Order: sequence, then structure tokens, then C-alpha cells
Amino acid sequence: MPSVTIDGRKYEFEGHPRLLQFCLDHGIEVPHFCYHPSMSVPANCRQCLVDIGAPVRSRATGELERTEDGEPVIRYFPKLQTSCSHTLADGQVVHTSRSSDKVARAQQDNLELMLINHPLDCPICDQAGMCPLQIQAYKYGPEGSRFEFRKTHKPKKVKLGPHVVLDAERCINCTRCTRFTDEISRSHQLTIIDRGVKNYPLTPPGLVFDDPYSMNVIDLCPVGALTSADFRFQARIWEMSSTPSIITASAKGSNCYYWVRDNLILRVTPRPNPEVNDFWLPDEDRLAYRCFNEDRPGGPEIREDGARQGATWEAACARAAELLSAAGLRSVFLASALATVEDNYLLMALARMTGGTVAGYLPHIAPGHGDGWLRTDERAPNGEGCRRLGLGPADVDALNEQIAKGEYDVLYVLEDDPVAAGLSELGAVSVILHYHNTTNRTLSLADVALPAATAAETIGTFVNVDGRAQRVVPAKAIRGAHRTLMMHMGLSRADRHGTPFDRWHNESHLINCKPSWELLPAVAGAMGHRMDYPGPRQIMDEVSSTVPAFGGATHKAMGLAGVKLPEV
Amino acid sequence: MAAKAGNWQSYKRVLLPPVRDLHRLSVYGDYGALRKALARYSPKEVTEIVKASGLKGRGGAGFPTGLKWSFMPPVDPDVPRFLCCNGDESEPGTYKDRQLMEFNPHQIFEGILISNYAISAKACYLYIRGEFADWITLMEEELDKAYAANFVGENIMGSGFSADIILHKGAGAYICGEETSLMESLEGKRAYPRIKPPFPAQSGIWGYPTTINNADTLACVPPIIAHGAEWFAAIGAPDHPGPLLYGISGHVNRPGVYEYPSGMLITDLLEVAHGMRADKKLKAVVPGGASVPVLRADMIDGVTMDANSLRAAGSMLGTAGLLFLDEDTDMVSFLRRVTRFYHHESCGQCTPCRDGTGWMENLVTRIDEGQGNTRDLDLLLDLCDQMEGRTVCALADAAAWPVRNTIKRFRADFEAKCRKAIWATETKAA
Repeated sequence: MPSVTIDGRKYEFEGHPRLLQFCLDHGIEVPHFCYHPSMSVPANCRQCLVDIGAPVRSRATGELERTEDGEPVIRYFPKLQTSCSHTLADGQVVHTSRSSDKVARAQQDNLELMLINHPLDCPICDQAGMCPLQIQAYKYGPEGSRFEFRKTHKPKKVKLGPHVVLDAERCINCTRCTRFTDEISRSHQLTIIDRGVKNYPLTPPGLVFDDPYSMNVIDLCPVGALTSADFRFQARIWEMSSTPSIITASAKGSNCYYWVRDNLILRVTPRPNPEVNDFWLPDEDRLAYRCFNEDRPGGPEIREDGARQGATWEAACARAAELLSAAGLRSVFLASALATVEDNYLLMALARMTGGTVAGYLPHIAPGHGDGWLRTDERAPNGEGCRRLGLGPADVDALNEQIAKGEYDVLYVLEDDPVAAGLSELGAVSVILHYHNTTNRTLSLADVALPAATAAETIGTFVNVDGRAQRVVPAKAIRGAHRTLMMHMGLSRADRHGTPFDRWHNESHLINCKPSWELLPAVAGAMGHRMDYPGPRQIMDEVSSTVPAFGGATHKAMGLAGVKLPEV
Repeated sequence: MAAKAGNWQSYKRVLLPPVRDLHRLSVYGDYGALRKALARYSPKEVTEIVKASGLKGRGGAGFPTGLKWSFMPPVDPDVPRFLCCNGDESEPGTYKDRQLMEFNPHQIFEGILISNYAISAKACYLYIRGEFADWITLMEEELDKAYAANFVGENIMGSGFSADIILHKGAGAYICGEETSLMESLEGKRAYPRIKPPFPAQSGIWGYPTTINNADTLACVPPIIAHGAEWFAAIGAPDHPGPLLYGISGHVNRPGVYEYPSGMLITDLLEVAHGMRADKKLKAVVPGGASVPVLRADMIDGVTMDANSLRAAGSMLGTAGLLFLDEDTDMVSFLRRVTRFYHHESCGQCTPCRDGTGWMENLVTRIDEGQGNTRDLDLLLDLCDQMEGRTVCALADAAAWPVRNTIKRFRADFEAKCRKAIWATETKAA
């Protein structure tokens, strides 16, 4: 197998890897800015310079030339090479800054040049704290600067489009953003304008950067030049914790991080997963986080004398149990494509216990919305999970008719909004509603309103359109259930950037809600049935062993990357 | 020391012939060299002849032209291949291609067609500097004439060989003259130089095999075919033979483009230009366009205009655009203008060039304005180290060489303009 020596250590490789990627894959840090594994390699930041030598072959025989000790003779390239653009060949010798002063000096020089026209406004920059320029300048850069002149001034606030704001002075012209629009999203909406030290990315005249994937350039930007119009100046990086989870605004289940401060989600960034979303997230998925913060319920309510009034959890569950017991077989249950597999499974179990009917789930389909990539026609995260549990889309018209005919006494709704879906004839039934937001239009008709934890607050499984089961974990705490216990203690500090100053577990903005996997057993218990599960992990263990369509989908197996479910 | 140019006083011009010959369609008997090449030689033979002639690129790097052609991959009928003619002349102090376009456009066309034939390319993109608007119009008109006479186009002169020439107006930047960024520009993209490898012969215009030559280089090809490789190889300096267009400018009495054999003594060229203006003394010579190292007057004795001699003297042939500077020249001001140019023209792709050229200009300007310190000179030299050889293209090198060598060779001039003490006595440290 061909091999290469990097900093005196030998590594074997296969195929034709690029040196920088090879180094990164093997834990050898080489500073870089413009290189991105998904895009073309322009080698323009010149930060990843290394010293490369190749063994000398005799022209006559083609044999390796050797020294007296039998070691191959190595001839070094006359100039330092950019490791991002260099394709490895057998026998080459590489020196990074760790084993070559020349390379260390070159990288230091490059950072000095990069910083002379960079505003260094880190104290007010959104990127500070996780800024590749900041980190690498501290690590590889010079102690100070010898630049004694006025820096180049460029526009500080350019609204490129609805979601992206440019601070041109911070830009280091790595062209990641323009390459993204050229090569990945193919909207070609960004280009570099002007020349030399004055250049920065901008939309061509008359164009607005309204690419549905525009916000990816914010994550790609290795400095704070491209900022989110939504998140700009909202929080410092170290004030937030980031929790790896998935997007629940579409059926793609793109992997993401939820960034939380004071129990409020402040932004959503993509989490790389080559099986789902690679490095990217559509803008709509990033901006859907508001439903986790706003219009949230104040606690359980029950209808007394025609008006909803606050109640304890016990009282609310007891009232739900009372209504269900009275209805007996005349109850109908609506599953939900917005709820986890575990919650839907428990709902089906509750329906079996009471002898009620499960009418399926309410479909959330927006025809034509999908783009064949990360945006989908289905606008709910778990339609596929419901189908794999044997649930079908609910026939709203038939249900309307049945309810109008008085076939049911109780409608039990799991985390959805049947009124918004067209279920209008609810006057004759008692409604038990698990809901996320007070904007839920069924709420005004509910007899028992049980605030349910959202995907950002619970633990559970969603199955995306491609049949991939993925787990959500609580990104923020709620009043009704202990986040740390939900995470099985050991996982309680999954935040990558946790510091003693982060704001995980304080009392601000705690929503009084409970995950449905606690509410449903509570209702069942109040009816005298036993539904004993310590948590979603055990529920999913049962689902994966009893439902063939979920074979192998235990929480442990899903981990952070998810598992592909068997074809059905 | 004798000039390698030989008996240059009686030299007969072949690139810019005397005016009385100019109004014919081609000074070589109506594309006679093309006719000869098509009728008598195979493409490989043409390449061999050019190789044997020793013709070297006239664009600045001086790469052997025939060798460059032989880098083209074998002909694959499914893969287009191109010739590209670089007429984006913008090196300061260089204006030879413009003269060629003005006075002898058909020789460029003829050279292009012969080269097209040699590398079996069906098309040539002729990229002309956008600022040469009048010359582009002229070239367009002359090209139409050549098309009308069937010297270009389908089945040229009944030979069965077809080739097109496509004129392209440049995008108005110095960097467009760099071969790979020229191709980007030609493709309608931003003129950022490409990383090499792959070289143009593997992946050039639109990613197809491409050979790119300077307009002046291609204009040398018809005489080589017409008169033979030996004739050409015998002109001027043996290691860099052929006619050269010396673009003489600066403080001389008769600046202009002069065609003479390569290997002319710099002192002879000064004589050709009728000596220094107002009989001033010569102070410095920039022998090959703004980016090559400047030579002090005492360094040019016996130095001839060919690559080896100039390298030994500490400079380069470049584009053979000579700039003569007289004794009154302020070398700091001169360098300030040069650094201003490179700062203005850096494309901004690579960090060292983008930020380094501006910093250099800042420093030289400060010295020129009397506010500089002697330590700035060392910083400038350090900056040269930080830029040279660390970028995609050679613009950073081109910007660093004049700074390094002007400071090195005229350090006293620079120090004289610096402040006398690093810390001015009146500004006591607080």
C-alpha cells in the first residue's frame, strides 16, 4: 500500500487523497480557510502551506535513488505547496508547521497579512468564539502586527438578501460563499466584486440573495463577514449551548444543532451527516425554531363551567381518563406526524386499552414545495414513522361526518391541530388535546388541554422520508420533566461548547409542559391501566423488537447519525 | 564585449517591416508561410521546425515555444482543443504587441493559423487587451479581410485545413494577461488565476487542451516557416534567438518600439534611442517591464538583451521593454509608482498578494513623503519574503522583485528620504 511520511510518521493511504483532507482525517491539524470538503479547491487563502518532498527516481532505470544508508533520496518542491490542492503520491514526505520552521513562519506570515485589513472587531462579532480566523490566528499567527497604516474600509452592513447580512470588512475573500452558490445551491447569486484588497462578495446588480439555501453561507464563512439577519448580535457563542438534534419542520429530518440560551432557542445550524443533509440546511428549517419559544402554553387546563381553567397535571389527566372511560368504545384517537414514534406507539396502546378507534394521522402535505433535495412536500417530521406503525392518513371528511352523526363522544388528539386541518364539527364531542402552541386552533374547543413537549424538549424518534430513523434529544429544559434525567444523566452535558458560564439549567423561560410519553401513561394510569415505561428508550426497544418496519432502530443504534430502517 | 546581436546596424526587420511594405495583405507574400506549412509539412514537422528554431516565448517567461506545443495530448476527435493568443499586453513599459497589431496584424493571424495547424486545433481565441479599443476594431476589420480571402475559415486556400480565429475583447485588468486567468476571463468568469497543475495543455479553455502563446511569439512563426529554422536560429543571441521588439521608454530622446536581433547591448539600445534626454547621465535601467529587477547604470556594461546575460547581471529579459532613468530620477518615487500599480492590479485571490501589495505601497509612500523610518526598509524586504512564491500566480513575485531590488540597489536613496531618527526627539515616550 502506498504510504506518506507526515512530520516523521508514516501513514498508509488508498486512492488519491488530497493532502489537507488526509491530514484532517488523521488528526493532523493544518490551518486553512478556503478549503471545504464539498466544494472545489481554489487554494486562495494560502494558509495551508506545507513543505513537500518526493522521492527521486533515476531517469534511466526508473528506480528510486537511494543514499548510502539505503534511504530514498527526497527532493523538496522549491516552493511551499498548498496542502489542500496537493494530491498524495507514494513515498512523499510532508512537513507541517510542527516539524518545519519554514512552514511555521509561512503560516504566521500569512496570518499577519490576513489580519492587516481585518477589522478585529471580535468583541462585537457574532463569530467570535468559534471563528476559524480567531482560533488560528491565536494558534499560528504572529504575536502582534507591524502594520501601522489605516486599514481598508468597506461597507459594514450590506443586506444581501432577506436572511444574510454582509460585513465586508471582515471578509477574507476565501470565496466559500460564492462557490456555494455556484457549485452547491447553483443559484449563482453571489460573486466577488472589485479587485485586490477592495473585493468582497455581493449579488450581481439587480439580484437579491433569496436562494432558499442562502443561510448556509453564514456557516461556511470562516469569519464573521456573513451574518444571519435573524441572529445578528443576539448572543455570544459561549453563552449558548448547542445540542445535536434534527430538524422537525420538514420530512427530511436534516441534522442540526439547536443553540440555546436561557431556555430559548436562538439559532439552528446544520450538523454534518452525509446520509441526510451533508453540511447544509434550508433557510426555512433554520427559521422554524420560533415555535419552540413563542406562543407556548402556561400549563394544563380543563374546561369547567364552559371555560378553560388552569389545573394540576393530576387533575387534567384524571379528567381525560374520566372522559375516556365514559366514552368507552365511542372514542376516536388522532395520531400525529408531528409527534415521535414513541408517542404515537403509546397513543395506539391507549386506544387499544380503551377500545377506541385510531383514525390515523393528519397529513401535512404542501404539493410542489419540495425541491428533491432538502425541502420536502411533506411538512411534518414523522409521516413515515406513522405509516411504519401501520397508521394511515386520516380521512378528515369521513371523520367530520362520523362526528356529526354522533358516532363518537371523545376525540383524543396527539400534538396536532385538527381544526386547522378541516375537522370543523367538533361541537358534539369532548376534545382531549396534546398541543405545542397556543396558536393551535383546536385549543379553544378542548375540554382537556395538555401542553406537550416539542421536539426540542423531548427525547424520541422520527423517521424521515427516506426511511431513516433519527433521534431528537432535549435542547432546552421544561418545567414538567427533568432534562438531565431524560438524557440518562450521563448525557446531560452534550453541549460541545459548554463552559461554566453557559446557561443551561436556570429558571428562565421554563415552559410548563410534559412529553407525551409521560402524559399518555399518566392518562392510562388514571383509568386503571398499566403502561409502564421508564422512558422513550425502553419504548423504542419494544417498538424495534415487535414492529418489523422498525427493526434495529433502538436509541443506542441510532446514536447521533440515525439508522436506515428496513424497506417495507 | 561584442554584442551577441552581431551586425545589427544592417538588420532587416521581419516583425515590423518598413512602412513601404505595410500596405500589402501580408509581407510574406499573401500568407505564403501558411501556404508553405500546409502544403509541405505535417503538423508534427511544423512543431519540429519551431523547436529547432529555438524560438522562446516573448510574453515574459521565455518558455521554448515548440516544446510547449509538444505538450499537447494526442489528437482525440471527440475532444476539442484550442490555441489561445495572448494579446492582453499590460506590463508597464511594454507596448510591442500593440505595434504589431497596428502595423502588421496579418502576421499575427498567419502565425496563429500555422500554430493552429501545428497543434491540430480548429480554433484560436485571440484575447486582446480591452483598452486597445481602436486596435481591436482594426484587427476585426483585418480579420474580415483575411476571412474574405479564405486565409482563415473553412478549407483554407483549398488545403482541407480549417481554422477559425475568434477575437475577444479583454476585461480590463493586468491579471487577465496571466495565462490561466485569461482563460477564466475568456470563459466569462472573474479573472482569478487557476492553480497549476493541471497545466493548460491538459485543461485549458473550457477544460480542454489548450496552448497559449503571446501575440509576439506567434508573429515570429511565419518567418521561421518561410526562411527555415537555421535562419531564425542564427539571428541574435544563440540561446534566445530571433528578432526582438525592444520597447524603449523613459528619459531618452527617441522612445519607441525598435525591432532588432536579440542579444543587443543595452548601451547600443540607448544609442538607438538617441541617448539620454538633455544629455543627462543614466542612473538606472529596467530591462524587461516593470516587474523585473532594476539595474544600476554601473551594472549594464557589456550586458546584452538575452536571458542568460541579464540573469548574470541580476535581472531578467521579461518583455524586453526597457525603461531608462536619468540621474534626476527619485528611485523612491519610481518604486512608489510601481508598487501603486501592483496594489491596484492584484486580483485579490491570494492573501499574501492582496494584502501585501497594499502594505508595500503604504510603506513606500510613507518613505517617499519623508515620514518613513529606516526600519521600514527591512520590513519591506521581509514583506517580499512573505509574498514571493506563496501565491497561485506570479503577480506577487512580480510585485516583490522590484521592491527587493530597488531597495537593494539604491538603498542610499531610500535611507536619504527616511527620517533621521526612528524616535523623533520631540515626541517623548509617555
